[in-house]
Amino acid sequence: MFETIVQAVINGLLIGGIYALVSIGVTLIFGVVKIVNFAQGEFVMLGMYISFYLATRFGLDPILSLVVTMPALFVVGVVIQHLLIRRVLGPNDMPQIFLTFALSLLLLNLALMLFTANYRTVHTSYSDTAFHLGGLYIPVAKLIAFILAMGLSGALWLFLHTTDLGRAMRAASQNRDVAMLMGINPNRVFAVAFGAALALAGAAGSLLMPFYSAYPFVGQTFVLMAFVAVVLGTLGNVLGALVASLMMGVAESLGIQFVGADSGLIVVFAMLLLTLAFKPNGLGRGRLRS
Amino acid sequence: MTKDRQDSIPRKTCGTRPIGSERPSRRRFILNGGAAIAAGAFGAVPLRGWAADPINIGALYPTTGSMAQIGVGCVAAAKLAVDMVNEAGGIKSLGGAKLNLIISDVQSDTTVTRTETDRLITGNKLSAVHGCYASALTLIASEVCERAKVPIITGSSSDQLNKGRRFTFTPFARASQFAKTQLQMAKLVSEQPKVAVIFENTAFGTSTSNGLKEQAAGEGVEIVMFEPYSAGFTDASPLINKVKASGANTLFSISYLNDLILIVRTVRQVGLNIAINGGSGGFVMPDFYKNVGEAAEGLQGVAHWNHDVSEDAQKVNAEFKKRTGEFAFEYAGGLVAQTFMLADALERAASADPQKVREALSTLDVSSGYAAMAPGGKVKFGPDGKNIYGRPVGVQWQKADLVSVFPKDDARAPLLKI
Repeated sequence: MFETIVQAVINGLLIGGIYALVSIGVTLIFGVVKIVNFAQGEFVMLGMYISFYLATRFGLDPILSLVVTMPALFVVGVVIQHLLIRRVLGPNDMPQIFLTFALSLLLLNLALMLFTANYRTVHTSYSDTAFHLGGLYIPVAKLIAFILAMGLSGALWLFLHTTDLGRAMRAASQNRDVAMLMGINPNRVFAVAFGAALALAGAAGSLLMPFYSAYPFVGQTFVLMAFVAVVLGTLGNVLGALVASLMMGVAESLGIQFVGADSGLIVVFAMLLLTLAFKPNGLGRGRLRS
Repeated sequence: MTKDRQDSIPRKTCGTRPIGSERPSRRRFILNGGAAIAAGAFGAVPLRGWAADPINIGALYPTTGSMAQIGVGCVAAAKLAVDMVNEAGGIKSLGGAKLNLIISDVQSDTTVTRTETDRLITGNKLSAVHGCYASALTLIASEVCERAKVPIITGSSSDQLNKGRRFTFTPFARASQFAKTQLQMAKLVSEQPKVAVIFENTAFGTSTSNGLKEQAAGEGVEIVMFEPYSAGFTDASPLINKVKASGANTLFSISYLNDLILIVRTVRQVGLNIAINGGSGGFVMPDFYKNVGEAAEGLQGVAHWNHDVSEDAQKVNAEFKKRTGEFAFEYAGGLVAQTFMLADALERAASADPQKVREALSTLDVSSGYAAMAPGGKVKFGPDGKNIYGRPVGVQWQKADLVSVFPKDDARAPLLKI
């Protein structure tokens, strides 16, 4: 029994690491640029397909393909911010919502056209292996994904707290007008934030590839959890999103184990509602603070 | 509705903007335009040069959305089947009339399935319909067909399709029969089978698993775990963790493709020594082996059709392979047989009228040719639209091929114990 619980917690933490990469991206964009990016999941999908093709065409290990997916999606993010998002930033929220939603539908249907609805998987030497400790097991691919996800989250935290650009980002997130008065160029800050968020989505795609199938709808599976984590961890709070993602992974896993295999999400949403009932702003405090 | 609208007019005239009938009418224009374009894209191709009027057969398959992968394969098979019938001279009693396939995309969505089936039937003179492969969608399409009195023939296995319906025909094994075959296969592997059943919680999974539960005791099989899950999960580990804790020696997984890939890979990761029977659905598709690779070797399943059940089936398989590069999966091969059943009914009805086609289908009785290309080799419909000879075939992945292993009459190779 004890072993089963420990195993369920391990499983939850491991998948929570992936949720974290997606949700940190969403919360970063919301915190800095003040828009909700509904297309975040589709960028995870894009990252997965890039990794898939690099692995099948060039034999590049999907995890190593991080070095391609992250910069590639960073550039995509900067371009999208510059050409699309920048133009709809204003007092009215509706164009922003429709823009990112349209982007999501566009990418999804483009993927269906280009890649078809087939499931694509990559087989690596470590895909089906696991570390066994007593009765417990830790799948190698997920462990690598988890460690790198935590590393990337930590790197983002350091970036936000120790670099000038990172501080500028936090300043812009706290009060855009005052930040501009202090000489911060919001367009530059927004572009970097959007790019960084998409780079994280790309990283999530690469890290998922060794153990998950790529298909056009794959992003939707993860983005739902990401949005819950973002709300649970307080909108715009990076550390909150990280903690909330891990909590949700564990809650889902324990829910499946002890409530029922179709109740994982019920437990997650019950946790969300309970949290919001007592802490309407989520678990975290302010925006982009930690 | 009307009252609301009348109220709103004076208020609008008071405003700064004049009464704008422009907005709703533009919207209506776009809607109409969209419908016209859609009708043009999917509608019947006008016939050229044929003496006899072509016979319209509706094909409802999800070619976009989450179920698109198999749906696209079904459409390829439907086209192949129609070509085969037409090349053999069409329907002779109707002056060699050709079959004309009208394909409609139901987008893997129950709401779209309802409107598309309606649109297909009202917009075209159909003699019969086939579809939709996924039971959840077929149940809806079947309801619409029943109301419109157009016969629908389907490979979907949900037993609900045989309840209180007159225009629905199911020539292949039912979900409840799949269960019996699966349980019997479990006894081939272990003398004391302890089975864990996990199933996706829609019509397909629940009906199949309930069949398993009801018949387990009668077959002498113990079920130690019985668990529904919601399809499309991100991680199979918690579920497999649960299976491990149950102490089962055989796992029945009733799943669509993506979930099953995750489940099998996770079982291998955990190092769990358990015989897996993937049942039907995603498991018996060519893509499964491509995705899972060698980990799929030795996995068992059940199908309502397999490409090696008869010589005719092997011929169809060769042609399908030439066209698509894959072997003919169960729905594809079954669809070819279904199209020949329709052709047989049309031939005897000597009419394209859907009601008469329905009568002819209800008296169908074949034991040779492509129409009889099913496990058991015979097709005759009972009053509930069920093929009274219908039975599933037990299959196993052996050396990258899906081989029929059970029952003895259909087996091409013995079951490998792993």
